[in-house]
Amino acid sequence: MKTAKRALGFTLAMLFLAGMALAQTDPGVQSGNRGTGAAFSSILSNSPSGILSFFTDGQKRFQDVESVSNSPSGNNGLGPRFNSNSCSSCHAQPAVGGTGAAMNPQFSFTSNGTAPKDTTPYFITATGPTLEARFPFFFNSNGTVNYNAPNGGVENLFTVSGRSDAGTCSLPQPSFNTAGNEGNIIFRIPTPVFGAGLIENLDDSTLLNNQLNNFNNNVGVGGAFNRNGNDGTITRFGWKAQNKSLHIFAGEAYNVEMGISNELFPQDRPLPGEDELQTGLPSNCLNLSGTGYPEDTSNPASTPNSAVLDDVSAFANFMRFLAPPPTGGVVLNGQQVSSSTISAGSSLFSSIGCSVCHNPTPGTTQVSNFTSSLSKAPVNAFSDIEVHHMGTGLADNVSQGNAGGDQFRTAPLWGLGQRIFLLHDGRTTNLITAIDDHEGNGSEANTVESNFDNLTPTQQQEILDFLRSL
Amino acid sequence: MHSRWLYCSLALVWWVVSPAHGQNVKAQTPSRNGGDFSDNVQPGNKGPTGVILVKGAWASASDSVTPLPEGGNVTNSVFTNQYFGMSYTLPANWAEKYKGPPPSDSGRYVLTQITPAATFKGPARGTILITAQDLFFTPLPASNAVELASYSKDHLQADYKVEMAPTPTKIADRSFTFFAYWSPAAQLHWYVLATDIRCHAVEIVLTSRDTKLLESLTLDLNKMKLSAEASPTGGTGGDGVPVCIKNYARDENLLTRVDPIFTEHRFNPVPVRIIIDTEGKIKHIHFLSAFPDQEKIVTDALKQWRFKPYRQGGQAVEVETGLRFGSGGYRMPLAAATAPTD
Repeated sequence: MKTAKRALGFTLAMLFLAGMALAQTDPGVQSGNRGTGAAFSSILSNSPSGILSFFTDGQKRFQDVESVSNSPSGNNGLGPRFNSNSCSSCHAQPAVGGTGAAMNPQFSFTSNGTAPKDTTPYFITATGPTLEARFPFFFNSNGTVNYNAPNGGVENLFTVSGRSDAGTCSLPQPSFNTAGNEGNIIFRIPTPVFGAGLIENLDDSTLLNNQLNNFNNNVGVGGAFNRNGNDGTITRFGWKAQNKSLHIFAGEAYNVEMGISNELFPQDRPLPGEDELQTGLPSNCLNLSGTGYPEDTSNPASTPNSAVLDDVSAFANFMRFLAPPPTGGVVLNGQQVSSSTISAGSSLFSSIGCSVCHNPTPGTTQVSNFTSSLSKAPVNAFSDIEVHHMGTGLADNVSQGNAGGDQFRTAPLWGLGQRIFLLHDGRTTNLITAIDDHEGNGSEANTVESNFDNLTPTQQQEILDFLRSL
Repeated sequence: MHSRWLYCSLALVWWVVSPAHGQNVKAQTPSRNGGDFSDNVQPGNKGPTGVILVKGAWASASDSVTPLPEGGNVTNSVFTNQYFGMSYTLPANWAEKYKGPPPSDSGRYVLTQITPAATFKGPARGTILITAQDLFFTPLPASNAVELASYSKDHLQADYKVEMAPTPTKIADRSFTFFAYWSPAAQLHWYVLATDIRCHAVEIVLTSRDTKLLESLTLDLNKMKLSAEASPTGGTGGDGVPVCIKNYARDENLLTRVDPIFTEHRFNPVPVRIIIDTEGKIKHIHFLSAFPDQEKIVTDALKQWRFKPYRQGGQAVEVETGLRFGSGGYRMPLAAATAPTD
């Protein structure tokens, strides 16, 4: 009897150990320095002459901390509403130009003088994702949600109320608690911009041919391009591919995320709700920098050449000249993953259909007038730049351009190995959860997700290892 | 070797069957009701979860009675699609876990996706995916299921190896094309069974690591019931299923045409399938993909269209055809543009 019990115990222990060995593990954020955040080689070699200073100047401005007024360095114009006070506070991981960092700077804004009168919204935590919030719908005048009135605009988390450089301006924060309680709030994390110049320089024809080649898939994937409402060309930046160019992307972010008016977005932006109330921004919250509008302009009398640019143009150049994130080795549970495992994972990723949307190389860039590294270069972005229906599990009920409430741009996966927060709202740090969340009612990814489930645990692990090598 | 086995297997098949959130509130300017500022203290209209309320371009129809390609469903373990005249009893312990996406603007449908249920005890998993490609709108140079399967075989990516080139077979007493390929890396096999129904290429795609499972699933497909009316070119044109004809809405068949004028430039294709009644009026409009404003504008225009009634054997019969409004979208290859139309 004792022997039988011992045998049973041994068997259970072996089963447990075997289960452990088979369980898939996200290798997690890879900590090694892969050299992410550097400029393209032709920029670093200053070709054409003078261009390196445009990169370094843009890189510096990208890290400037903005004030409302009276900044000794002239970085004024913040607010009256904002999500953060510097590009690099959001685009930080694993280097300047990336996505949200492990420590969320927004968590300190109410205590460090950045937003002294505000309340830290309930969803902002010290170690959670850096976030932008949107209300999919407006509220009725009685305070309930009006599902017939789509909103979707950015609800800035903070105001300049109480700051010594903001005069008498005092603004309420949007009703985040009510929105949370009513399920009328969604979140977005910052998109990394490494290699963005390559994506910008893909011509529409290349993307359309790529789409044509992928129509013939047996995994139920459709897909469409978001397009500019004025000229009809393919738009490509942002979670819903709603922005045409890096210039637009920078100008809109400067205005929306930091409240700084600029040559592309020349007014201070009230919340959608403030327009709804027909009040707009109060007069004591306008022109807070005292310089007039737009707050960011080009500087005709400045030297050197790069200093003539407005901030938005400098940001755009910085992003455009950032090299794509290099791939790197992967450490899993303290052990280096072999290159053959990474290679096997790459083949599996493609074989089960992930690459129909997360296309490893959607094409080669057109000839660039900026620098040779952007010319005729492969774009190893792991994205088709199309928007796809992702179903009810990921839907945020926000429409941008032609993209509807459940459509998202295929997130480029280059640099994934060093990202902390995953999916559009940073809901998870675990790659396995992120993959699982691709399936749901109405998702184009269901069959591919099912193919992933059809693999052996070893094969699934190889895919996870591969993804963290990107 | 494997191919030969597969062929035998298929031949056999033919033979056998015919928050609640805390927040410390600091003193600040009193917030207001409306817009983005709500003091709602009586939560009561929390939105439905798991529903897409804000849609982009989406499928819709002019009536709720006429069957639609995307209108199939699984009830009591039976997948039924009235439009395609299809009824398929799922294998034991398999289920539809999730609904598919809406049709694409190029006419691609996911009719259903079947996977092992929680009660499944088999040694290997698999997937049954049933899709349809509207042959009026496909950007691929294919005008029927055979050509589509051949195109698939000729354009397989380097990750895959052909196991069996497109081969005629019978499933549920209906002509199908069988095509098989596999991935050496993933050790996954794909069995594709394609047939033509109502000017759509309907494909049943079986995927698994286990070829025995795939063979069993293939055999099981013979239990499928396919309506005689749902032939490659549609039905008899009677009340049930119209005849389908590509490009029927060309000038020589049109008596009155009023073009829709879009008020917004959205740069998206708006593919529609219409059913023309025996008097030449449009009795049904199915939008595969359109924004609500586009839907209204196209509907208002199409209501005014008049056709010469389509005659078959001297009798006027209903006819189904396709029209593509809007702009932008996907690329049509030259080969597709010059492919035979009727």
